[in-house]
Amino acid sequence: MIKTTEKLVFESPKSLKAGMKFPFCAGCDHGVAIRLVAEVLDEMNLKEKTIAVASIGCSVMLYDYLDTDCIEAPHGRALAAATGVKRTNKDKFVLTYQGDGDFASIGLAESLHAALRGEKVSAICINNTTYGMTGGQAGPTTIMGQITKTSPNGRNEEYYGYPIKIAEQIALCDGTAYSARCSLDSIANIKKTKEAIRKTFEVQLQGLGFGFVEILSTCPTNWHLTPQESHERVRNELFQVYPLGVYKEV
Amino acid sequence: MTKKLTTGNHAIAQAAINAGCDGYFGYPITPQSEIGEFMSKKMQELERAYVCAESEIAAINMVLGACSTGAKAMTSSSSCAVALMQESLSYIAADELPVVLVSVMRAGPGLGYIYPSQGDYNQATIGGGNGDYKIIVLAPSTVQECIDLTYKSFYLAQKYRNPTILLADGLLAQMMEPVEFNEYPYPEIPIEDWALTGAKNRASRAIYSLEPKEDRLVERINTLFNKYKQIEENEVEFEEYQTDNADLIVTCFGSIARNVKSAINQCREKGLKVGMLRPITLYPFPTKKYQELAKTTKKFLTIEMNMGQMVRDVRLAVNGQVPVEFFGKSVGQWLSVEDIIAEIERFNG
Repeated sequence: MIKTTEKLVFESPKSLKAGMKFPFCAGCDHGVAIRLVAEVLDEMNLKEKTIAVASIGCSVMLYDYLDTDCIEAPHGRALAAATGVKRTNKDKFVLTYQGDGDFASIGLAESLHAALRGEKVSAICINNTTYGMTGGQAGPTTIMGQITKTSPNGRNEEYYGYPIKIAEQIALCDGTAYSARCSLDSIANIKKTKEAIRKTFEVQLQGLGFGFVEILSTCPTNWHLTPQESHERVRNELFQVYPLGVYKEV
Repeated sequence: MTKKLTTGNHAIAQAAINAGCDGYFGYPITPQSEIGEFMSKKMQELERAYVCAESEIAAINMVLGACSTGAKAMTSSSSCAVALMQESLSYIAADELPVVLVSVMRAGPGLGYIYPSQGDYNQATIGGGNGDYKIIVLAPSTVQECIDLTYKSFYLAQKYRNPTILLADGLLAQMMEPVEFNEYPYPEIPIEDWALTGAKNRASRAIYSLEPKEDRLVERINTLFNKYKQIEENEVEFEEYQTDNADLIVTCFGSIARNVKSAINQCREKGLKVGMLRPITLYPFPTKKYQELAKTTKKFLTIEMNMGQMVRDVRLAVNGQVPVEFFGKSVGQWLSVEDIIAEIERFNG
């Protein structure tokens, strides 16, 4: 008689809601990023002490995916809300998950000042170079020449000015303990992103200061590219403007 | 208890500390900056949360975050800066968070100036945030009431999990009066069944206002309005002064009631049958009390340090039963007792 032993080699992180299915467009990197966050929360045993702050955009329904306590912040104000949570609950683990429009356009003041104050919170910013949820308009990170719904002739200096380099700006703040830019375009880079998320969480737990990771991500629907082409765009176009790397580590 | 000479701003700040305020988040603006200054010292001494926020927008959202965890938290601000907070007040009402906002009115639209004014009655009671929501609004008339109503603001905010505004003005905030700092008189309200405290030994929780499903959105708004109905039934507070057999009832709120009372005393000595009704809760508005008094009085005269804001609520309440007149001045001019007596005599004549 042949005896077989089944071994589960791949399971959903406990910090993700059981049976949950991501509603994101095909080829969008949000699902990968949120899964990585959940994996690190599991591995660092943080689920029970986490209060996550959701933002506005495709990132908004974070509370539908993460199986942790969550609060929704008004557009751009995630790091202000996170500051309020952390300052009154120093024993909790506080995390924001934001898009680049939320973090670096409408919420730039809140983001920079949280970093300058050295808030002991961790911020994750998904940079897909467009306003995804509203249908693909030009945002603060839209690169020069990029065609969007509100830059039909491509981003140019005269009408739009220049994109913001978020990870570099956050690294300039004295209160920042860690700032990195990562990508989800390959297995190797997904692994590096996970390590950057871990580092971002560790600096909070160690009380070193503000932890930040910018994740270059795809938006195939609004980029009008296939999932494969989208990752090629990340490599071929975005890496030139937004180089990967660790910009600050104390 | 011995009395202490205190400004309205310091009275509010100390009362907030006595009420157990865990976190103060604010940005300076005259005429309420002394609240933030006082808190920067005292909150640090007590090792409670204090943040010099980068803007009023950030400040109110820090309060939103803190209150979502069940902490008692507040901000204080004034007129044009309270305008900046309106979006978040709508979120806070939708999220049902126990936020306390101290709003110390200055004068005029735009930057205006720091003169005493009551120009933000509409801003507080109607609000500028989006959607159907209501905010509890308490209006002190003395420095002692600044203390008592700060206590009540924290209590009502917690009891109903609803944003609550303490609406003062520059005059009350800056002047000194002898006051008693009694202890916080209200029971503590449990937070365990709703606050974000980490999903330990319970299911995870989320506090949010996004509601894509129509029937659930309708249900949420109905739940809010059932709560508002309870607030309207249970929390109306007002001061009634010499309204018995009054032919004319002067009605006003906040600091100007002090002069109105003096004017009424002098008018009564002259034999004029005049009384005063002062709403202390601007929301919930004492509609029933106005309707009751409209059966016995001949006229209402609404006096405000603005161009006529509360008078609209008075007219809605009285609903044409008797005439409702208005007397007021804008630009923060203090209405003197003589001004008020002259107006009473004119209306009574």
